[in-house]
Amino acid sequence: MSLLEVRELTKHFPIKSGVMKRTTGYVYAVDGVSFALDRGETLGLVGESGCGKSTTGRTLLRLIEATSGTVTFEGRDVLRASRGDMQRLRRDMQIIFQDPYASLNPRMRVRDIVGESLKIHGIGTPAERKKRVFELLETVGLSAEHAERYPHEFSGGQRQRIGIARALAPSPKLIICDEPVSALDVSIRAQVINLLEDLQGDLELTYLFIAHDLSVVKHISDRVAVMYLGKIVESSDSSLLYSHPQHPYTEALLSAVPIPDPQTERTRRRIILEGDVPSPANPPHGCVFHPRCPRAQEICTTAMPTLGNTGGDAGARHDVACYFPTRYGGARQEVPQTPPEAATGGA
Amino acid sequence: MAGHLLEVTELSTHFFTHAGVVKAVNGVSFTLDRRETLGIVGESGSGKTVAALSLMRLVPDPPGKIVEGSLLLGGRDLRTMSGEEIRRVRGNDIAMIFQDPMTSLNPVVKVGKQIAEAITLHQDKSKAEAWEMAAKLLARVGIPDADKRVSQYPFEFSGGMRQRAMIAMAISCNPDILIADEPTTALDVTIQAQIIDVIREMQERYESGVIAITHDLGVVAEIADKVMVMYGGRTVEYAGIDEIFYNPQHPYTWGLLGSLPRLDEAEKTRLTPIKGQPPDLLALPEGCPFVGRCAYERPECRDKWPSLEIVGAEHGVHCWIPADERLSARKRLPHFEKLVP
Repeated sequence: MSLLEVRELTKHFPIKSGVMKRTTGYVYAVDGVSFALDRGETLGLVGESGCGKSTTGRTLLRLIEATSGTVTFEGRDVLRASRGDMQRLRRDMQIIFQDPYASLNPRMRVRDIVGESLKIHGIGTPAERKKRVFELLETVGLSAEHAERYPHEFSGGQRQRIGIARALAPSPKLIICDEPVSALDVSIRAQVINLLEDLQGDLELTYLFIAHDLSVVKHISDRVAVMYLGKIVESSDSSLLYSHPQHPYTEALLSAVPIPDPQTERTRRRIILEGDVPSPANPPHGCVFHPRCPRAQEICTTAMPTLGNTGGDAGARHDVACYFPTRYGGARQEVPQTPPEAATGGA
Repeated sequence: MAGHLLEVTELSTHFFTHAGVVKAVNGVSFTLDRRETLGIVGESGSGKTVAALSLMRLVPDPPGKIVEGSLLLGGRDLRTMSGEEIRRVRGNDIAMIFQDPMTSLNPVVKVGKQIAEAITLHQDKSKAEAWEMAAKLLARVGIPDADKRVSQYPFEFSGGMRQRAMIAMAISCNPDILIADEPTTALDVTIQAQIIDVIREMQERYESGVIAITHDLGVVAEIADKVMVMYGGRTVEYAGIDEIFYNPQHPYTWGLLGSLPRLDEAEKTRLTPIKGQPPDLLALPEGCPFVGRCAYERPECRDKWPSLEIVGAEHGVHCWIPADERLSARKRLPHFEKLVP
């Protein structure tokens, strides 16, 4: 059984306008996202700003309430859990935030920040908690003497370590890493990535790693899911996704990432997408990517293709939501997938 | 000596604060020619932005002050120019694109008017002519429906389009030098690719010299002809683009390259980060600012800044480790194999 299973998760934010604050529309931030996470693995969730990757992460912890869908953690229903159940669930599900400057309370000492969840969950005696905080600080590469200080006395990388120690405090099974290294400088970023990898090995952690930086996501993840306008358009084993992208968006995204190697850069072919990402308040009909897609045909404007396994090498799972995915070996699939019933019914 | 378009010698810009003197830029030299792109690479606080602002004399004074050096633009020293002269240089000879297109455009003035303003300020053009030029420039940087867009406000533009508008403004007076300070950091990768393309195109068209300031070695590999690596206000190494990537000499450059996860790596390799934290700019050592984080530190490193060692044509490094020891140290680095083509 998977540790975490997400089915058809949606989050639509209402748009209110006018004096009466009537709902005049919705922002389709997350629109039917499904995935599963096995114990000890890292799933990377990647996409550009506004694709809904962070909202997905927060909805899983109910920091934002989902509109519909199911989230199952070790067989327990997360979205319908009571307040008390939710608090117990949060011992197992923690989060690390992007901005190490905004996510630590400036008026709290490090020992209180890291030890707060232990206190809330009633773990150990005060003396035991103190000892645990010291241990946690050493685990993340800080030292016990840092416990009495305030966040402003630390650099960005050190603050992110404090955020990691806080997430580790209740000994969680799953950590949602929401852009944990995006705000850090290159040399510090590598330290934190290595730390996250070490912790995963030592503590058998499962990560949902949300980031926009594809190089980082590829490096740290076992599997990667690519999001575009609230939907997962492709997901597979991390090396497979990068060696054999099938969705035209994934291809463009990969080709746009600059590689720190001038010779490679000179010979690479770049797919430059026209235009901007459409507004999630008014997503295009049919496939959400079709207005920017170089392969778009009429069928693409009718309905969003379903995310289906296109079968990789040796039966590896490779899901893609596209009528014309690139097949292994580079050839395009000739026979288009039939559009779902709903679309033909309406036509 | 052949005259360079821009020649910066021993530039030092310091900030005199209540807490002490911050040596943001400390004895930095470089040159730039037409059609050439210089990448300035460094992490936050390395002094790369202050170096660029010094060129435009945009460092806030007080507390900032250019304390040393000469900044020759076609033989004229920018440092000693009067306020009137430097205002003519800005925009006309040197233009700058900033990192954040959200905050560098005026939100209550139409985009076209903001571009036209730059034109009327530097060129003998009527308002109507300038407005027409603004629309043309917007079209040139790839904004669709430029005739309509020119009378819109910045909030009606997406992030990528705002950055295009900034570029249009920067090239409006056909500058010799275009400074791009982290021009794509706030943008998504697919938009980043578009913007890099536009900058390249404009460089070709106007034969400008470009200074690209970035922390992203990937972007540098893509656009720069030569690179200057900065750390703690100093240039630790400079070289042509291939030399920096395939024959790096400074331990900090090695550290930067070892810290990068690569999209094209076949199998998972562990990153080799630089240990420690960024330096305290108020308490930089007299010697090399990289001490404390460098794995090859020697007694002399802390006290004296090493003089420039020429490694090859257009390749120099400031480091106390003797050249042969440096090469054998580099050979032992796990990530170095993949650096050599």
